Amino acid sequence: MVLSKKLWRTPLDTEKISLPKAEITIQPDLCKGCDFCIEFCPRKVLEKSDQLNKRGIYPPKVADESKCTICGFCAAICPDFAISVTEKKCKEGCEDEK
Amino acid sequence: MATEEAEVELRIGVYVCHCGLNIAGTVDCKEVAKFASTLPNVVVAEDNRYACSDQGQETIKKDIKEHNLNRVVVASCSPRLHEPTFRKACEEAGLNKYLFEMANIREHCSWVHLHDKKAATEKAKDLVRAAVAKVALLEPAIESEVPITKSALIIGGGVAGIQAALDLADTGYKVYLVEKKPSIGGRMAQIDKTFPTMDCSICILAPKMSDVGHHPNVELLTNSEVQEVKGYIGNFKAKVLKKPRYVTDECSACNECSEACPITAPNEFDVGLATRRAIYTPFAQAVPSTYIIDRDLCLNKEGILACDKCLRACEREAIDFDMKPETLELEVGTIIVATGADVYDPSSLPNYGYTRYLNVITSLEFERLINAGGPSGGNLIRPSDKKIPESVAFIQCVGSRTDKGNKYCSNVCCMNTIKDSLLIKEHWPDVKIYVFYVDIRAFGKGFEDLYKRAKGEGVIFIRGLPAEVVEDRKTQNLWLLGENTLQKELYRVNAGMVVLSIGIEPCPDSDVIQRLFTLSRTPDGFFMEAHPKLRPVDAPTGGIFLAGCAESPKDIKDSVTQASAAAARAGILMAQGKVTVEAITPRPIPENCKFCGLCARVCPYNAILVDKERERVEVIEAACTGCGTCGAECSFDALHMRHFTNAQILAQIDALTEIEADKKIIAFCCNWCAYAGADFAGVSRMQYPPNVRIIRTMCSGRVSTKFVEHAFSKGAGAVLVAGCHPGDCHYIDANVQTQKRVEKLWKKMERLGVDKERLQLLWASAAEGEKIASKVREMKAKLDKLTPEEIEKAKGAFAGS
Repeated sequence: MVLSKKLWRTPLDTEKISLPKAEITIQPDLCKGCDFCIEFCPRKVLEKSDQLNKRGIYPPKVADESKCTICGFCAAICPDFAISVTEKKCKEGCEDEK
Repeated sequence: MATEEAEVELRIGVYVCHCGLNIAGTVDCKEVAKFASTLPNVVVAEDNRYACSDQGQETIKKDIKEHNLNRVVVASCSPRLHEPTFRKACEEAGLNKYLFEMANIREHCSWVHLHDKKAATEKAKDLVRAAVAKVALLEPAIESEVPITKSALIIGGGVAGIQAALDLADTGYKVYLVEKKPSIGGRMAQIDKTFPTMDCSICILAPKMSDVGHHPNVELLTNSEVQEVKGYIGNFKAKVLKKPRYVTDECSACNECSEACPITAPNEFDVGLATRRAIYTPFAQAVPSTYIIDRDLCLNKEGILACDKCLRACEREAIDFDMKPETLELEVGTIIVATGADVYDPSSLPNYGYTRYLNVITSLEFERLINAGGPSGGNLIRPSDKKIPESVAFIQCVGSRTDKGNKYCSNVCCMNTIKDSLLIKEHWPDVKIYVFYVDIRAFGKGFEDLYKRAKGEGVIFIRGLPAEVVEDRKTQNLWLLGENTLQKELYRVNAGMVVLSIGIEPCPDSDVIQRLFTLSRTPDGFFMEAHPKLRPVDAPTGGIFLAGCAESPKDIKDSVTQASAAAARAGILMAQGKVTVEAITPRPIPENCKFCGLCARVCPYNAILVDKERERVEVIEAACTGCGTCGAECSFDALHMRHFTNAQILAQIDALTEIEADKKIIAFCCNWCAYAGADFAGVSRMQYPPNVRIIRTMCSGRVSTKFVEHAFSKGAGAVLVAGCHPGDCHYIDANVQTQKRVEKLWKKMERLGVDKERLQLLWASAAEGEKIASKVREMKAKLDKLTPEEIEKAKGAFAGS
């Protein structure tokens, strides 16, 4: 949440708001390193990995999955179909992550 | 016509008003009248107890007829107050109203020299002498008429703006209501109940909001800001920037988009106590109900559509990310400024712990908490543990009546707290309530009853504000420490929650609004009215009116009353359909003109056209506002500045320097700021030395270098040129020329070996009476040190000017 200087309180309904959690899947070896996903992610969820892939480039990796809003833009602009985002199925574990 | 007039023998009548004891208490009015009778061409000179009364006016009218008077001087109050009254009387007696002149011997004399009767009487004589000298040279004039556009622009969609819009629209005029926020409603929409009747605020406001939203005569422009205003009374041209909502009118306010939106932020409307999404409506009753996208929050930045969740959720396809800002150009005849106010930020008072202690809240936060439609569903819960507190303490005058915040009383906080305490008692009778106050100001209709009711319900009122609020770390309760000044004992009170009764402040963008509409502000920062008693909703600029908290802190009833008054005042103008323009525009004198074009270059309104080749010069009357800066720029006497001619002003200077010139400060004050400021000094009885003689010009830009030089050549001790602050000029930027001319004069004085300190330039607003008074004091001190040699030197240096 973006808090401005004047509005400093944690809103009372913060806990009631449940936004869907994201599950980001990256297939590193499909990536050819255009970095579009890193550059255009509006929430800056992705960053460059430090592991080389088969093609000899550094594919993206997830920096902070909780920031992802599942807009799916990364998947839409990936020329190599190397990344996909789905809503996390909350059987168990979702609550913990909150 | 002027030549014809010159042949007729001058017959001047002078009336010296006592104004009860307001003038006569200090000035010997009989002596001034006797003195006036000795002045050239004066055929009648009388003193009068109240010149402005019916009787006083009748005397003037009778004399005009009986004595064949063709010029009239009234020495009384400021022409800003009663010039229209006497001009009307003259007209009724068949005398052209431009043949009347006033000498301001009240605001500029009796009231500011209360303890020096002799000097005040001498000064009054001088002022009468100058008025008689000017009146002799006045010329009859016929005013031109300008049509008034029958539409109004209202800035601010709070309750004042809404009421004014409805009143004008119901009268039948087209109204543009501009609101900066996404919805109209203003502060009143945030409040739970209203005092003293305890009506539900939004329940009485929402129908009005809806009416104004649907009114066929109202064009509602929300999310919009006025960017530029040009023109004059009856004929304003305003540029309004309508920012895109990114949601079209197809929106049915179903909220599906908002639910789909993944971005949350605190809702400004709930003072951050609840969240909203990037696509939202600020509150349920918002008008228009159309949602809006906050592009600062939205994931979709310019040109990139990253997230389409709202688009997919909206069945009516009402979302349009390509919406562009629009600039609307509106032509309106009248303007009502109802831009409202802000609230004081108590985080600047560290002793109360706001923002450090969760359970210290502001009165505005309280309104949202106690509101059934608010973030807590109307439960007064403590932010720390979400429980109803066992006791609540209200602290009054937070940021009001203090040197640490604002010096003024914010008007509404006492009653608001009393109302709030009763609301708590209504829902939770067992909650103990303390109110710490300085004074309880329950002055309005029904206010005292409500105060008594609160006391009867067991609300404990303690006089004396806490010096400090300290949090108990374990319970997060608060200790209030201070002195009960009625019982002269210290208190230490424990409360579960503290409500800071915060004051009202001018809007942070008041300076922008001030410049847009050339308004004046009081030292408090609120907009100033044309006259505090008799024209309380008129702005000093013609055709502009004030309503609501923009003018001063006030409650809903007063805001609505003022809004209706402003609408009526604007309505009067529009019903008349035309307005006369003062005959103070320049008349070119082609035989003197060198067609150099300097006048056209300094005109702020581009109202002068000079054609060098064809040797033609033309003044566009409708565009000219009569500031006279062109006349001051012309070195060839080729512009006859009607009613403020060179000859008239030089005659005033001559009259004022006739005796003891070396003891005098000749001051040129602009009508809107400096002259009004000197009036304000008078009304406030600020005392200053009687050496100053003020000559009124419409703008300080009218003051030609010639006038200043002439004053020095006549042996004047000092000269003051005073105008509006740079940027506040009522003639756009004509006072830039004032500055240039004064600087030019300073250089010349230096060159001629005349002490340049003897010429002073002062920027003073209509509210800065003290600034004028202290300037006069400062100049008087310098005057006392002037030697006769210095006076003679300046006389010689500027001889012939």
